[in-house]
Amino acid sequence: MSLSLFALQLINGVEYGLLLFLVASGLTLVFGVLGVLNFAHGSFYMLGAYLAWWLSERTGNLLLAILVGLPAMALIGLLVERLAIARLYLRDHLSQVLLTYGLVLLFNELQRALWGNDVHGVATPKSLAFTIPLGEAQTWPAWRAFTALCCIAVAVGMQQLILKTRFGMRVRAGASNAEMVEALGIDVRRVFSVVFSAGTALAGLAGMLAAPLTTVYPGMGESVLILSFVVVVIGGIGSIKGAFLGAMLVGIADTFGKVLLPGFASAMVYAVMAAVLLWRPRGLLGPAFEGR
Amino acid sequence: MPEPLLLTETLTRRFDALAAVDGVSLAFEEGRVHAVIGPNGAGKSTFLNLLSGELRATQGRVRFRGLDVTRATPDELSRLGIGRSYQTANLFPELSCADCAWLAAQSRLPSSMRFFRPAERYAEVGDRAARALEVCGLSGRRPTRAGQLSYGEQRQLEIAMMLATEPTLLLLDEPLAGLGHDEALRVVALLTEVARGRTVILVEHDMEAVFSISDTVTVLVDGRVLERGSPDQVRNSAAVREAYLGEEIA
Amino acid sequence: MTRRILLLAGALALGVVAFSGDRFWLQFLGKAMIGCILAMSLDLLVGFTGLVSLAHSAFFGLAAYALAGVTNRLGLVNPLLTFPVCLLAAAAAALIIGWLSLRATGVYFIMVTLAFTQMLFYLFNDSPALGGSDGLYVAERPVDSRAAAYVAIWAALVLAYLLLARILRAPYGRALEGIRVNEQRMRSLGYPTRRYKLVAFVIAGTLAGVAGYLDATLYGFVNPAQLGWRQSGLILVTVLLGGKGTLYGPALGALLLAFIEHYGERVTEHWNALIAALVIAVVLFLPRGLAGLVQGGRRA
Repeated sequence: MSLSLFALQLINGVEYGLLLFLVASGLTLVFGVLGVLNFAHGSFYMLGAYLAWWLSERTGNLLLAILVGLPAMALIGLLVERLAIARLYLRDHLSQVLLTYGLVLLFNELQRALWGNDVHGVATPKSLAFTIPLGEAQTWPAWRAFTALCCIAVAVGMQQLILKTRFGMRVRAGASNAEMVEALGIDVRRVFSVVFSAGTALAGLAGMLAAPLTTVYPGMGESVLILSFVVVVIGGIGSIKGAFLGAMLVGIADTFGKVLLPGFASAMVYAVMAAVLLWRPRGLLGPAFEGR
Repeated sequence: MPEPLLLTETLTRRFDALAAVDGVSLAFEEGRVHAVIGPNGAGKSTFLNLLSGELRATQGRVRFRGLDVTRATPDELSRLGIGRSYQTANLFPELSCADCAWLAAQSRLPSSMRFFRPAERYAEVGDRAARALEVCGLSGRRPTRAGQLSYGEQRQLEIAMMLATEPTLLLLDEPLAGLGHDEALRVVALLTEVARGRTVILVEHDMEAVFSISDTVTVLVDGRVLERGSPDQVRNSAAVREAYLGEEIA
Repeated sequence: MTRRILLLAGALALGVVAFSGDRFWLQFLGKAMIGCILAMSLDLLVGFTGLVSLAHSAFFGLAAYALAGVTNRLGLVNPLLTFPVCLLAAAAAALIIGWLSLRATGVYFIMVTLAFTQMLFYLFNDSPALGGSDGLYVAERPVDSRAAAYVAIWAALVLAYLLLARILRAPYGRALEGIRVNEQRMRSLGYPTRRYKLVAFVIAGTLAGVAGYLDATLYGFVNPAQLGWRQSGLILVTVLLGGKGTLYGPALGALLLAFIEHYGERVTEHWNALIAALVIAVVLFLPRGLAGLVQGGRRA
């Protein structure tokens, strides 16, 4: 493999990893703070993508669509949390799995009813429809660069928010001991709602950014969901840093896997997961004690 | 001097920078009641958790009958004859008393990987469970769900479950915690009965009880052994009194 | 006692259908009973051991594909040969996947079983050599009459129930219950709990393999959708719907779901939404399932 090809694949892998990180961070945040494993997380990714397509068709501009779509996703997240997720807080794993599974079925039907079974392309905005040259032979589409930058911005923003603000402190407190936080008079429910909406928005944003790259099609949330589970298992539940690490590993493994061993690309990723499990059953940066 | 049943060699457990148990070397003679006391945060529970395999030692060794069991898992230790009771009731709340004792007793079958004979047919298990419940005064509460027992009764069930595994070494973690005076007396009487012919390592705060039933007392402070000796020796030690800062220990 | 009589009556009723010669009912109830085997075997894990596994469909599909494989490639048709081979395939897979998955606990376990299921799905879905997304026909089925297949399924269902009920009454079953209620305590009582969970996983996976073999026998066709997490999720639904931890409950749940799926398709194009609503409703309002409506006690 030539150096420039290697570099390109590495960049692709990192970029893919960044998108995965966006999705996985929402998942791990929701689980870390709310204690709920949300199988419908992939559906939010899909909804984001469909929303981006639908709005950009109406407004003619993808960036505007994203700007409008993000708060819409957050609102959807809030509704779902208040109506369904809130009832899972003290329930067992089977209930969580099945309720969110039911939501997946519901969202799939909703998507099919609203937008049908067709595959839709989404045009990148004209302002970003150029390519960036990389060395002599390769180029990198500007939209991909923009996507990567957005993900990095979100990652940094999240870290700052969680580590440096009072709200972030409440989130961390809620994650370790919700009962105590409630006893201290802080409305844990509000923290939960905000965190869930944020998680939904994160998945939605990833879907919107990915829409021009992968096209918009039914069931697009599924593969992303499974991969983000793999990311979280590798990185450790509840750890944003772990999600980042896991996402990079998965993104790069998958990208190189597709190039080096075309038939077995997906197997590569699961092999990595199996290897991590053998060595660190709680993920690379997961909690040290036996939690939930 | 007979070989000690249990021996720890510079046993240490660190949590990041803090050494909760720091270089503890102790020998526990067979057939005696050994108490481990100390002010809050002294590392007593950590020490017990190290002995029962629930925590892994950072450094040092534990030997049981000469065998190195430092890396042994809780189930391996149990099968070697080390029984454990817990400070907060660690039962099977939805199961009846009888079932809780049964599960404990069943663990002594060579293997529970038995698939075809109904469990009730294993009479030895039933007998063992019934005996344990009887010793602990719970025969009358057999059908009651463990979660619905009174606090004191839950303690008794804790001990019954431990007994049903027929241990030679008993690790007791604050068996009297939270009990009222009468209930505590009852449990102390039970423990005296249970200690006969067995070796006991007892972590406790209740000084009256400790001094009445123990043969040796070890005082831990900040994870290290401060003093060790007979109850009288420890009671009269100035160092110990200072460590407790004026707490009533006599 | 009444429950036993009712179950016996139900089993006999199902058995009698074998003589009906009615093509629709043989196929429909045959499929439904396969669902019952899947549901009961999953209940062993979910209801009795406390393990929520999303890998169940993987063993179901693997055995089905194994049948297609040995029949199409090796020309083996005799069920005395193909059945043990397919069962072995399912059992081996359950052993490997179970061993790896059980290194994880709690939600990690659930996610890992999901990941392995999807891995197998993609393996079969993306390989043209293994039939791809279209699936494979079984060149020649182990039994060629629908009635014979039905009887085999019925026998398997009855035997599976009796086997599971027996296991659950034995010391092993008691140990599983203890593990479900308080695994950590079981360990400190001397039980090597991971081993017990693995055995349960393999038993359940092997029974799922039996179901898969019978499914391929009934339809003569296997396809990747049988292996995915949607399928696993539906089996889980039947367990909750019927009442986890009762053994007969999930079987009832499977029967009910079979009817709903069939008639739902007639009623509306969006019958998936119907299933979704049902699932959500059961989780929120009927967590103990149908069996919970019927009784208070637990032991099968």
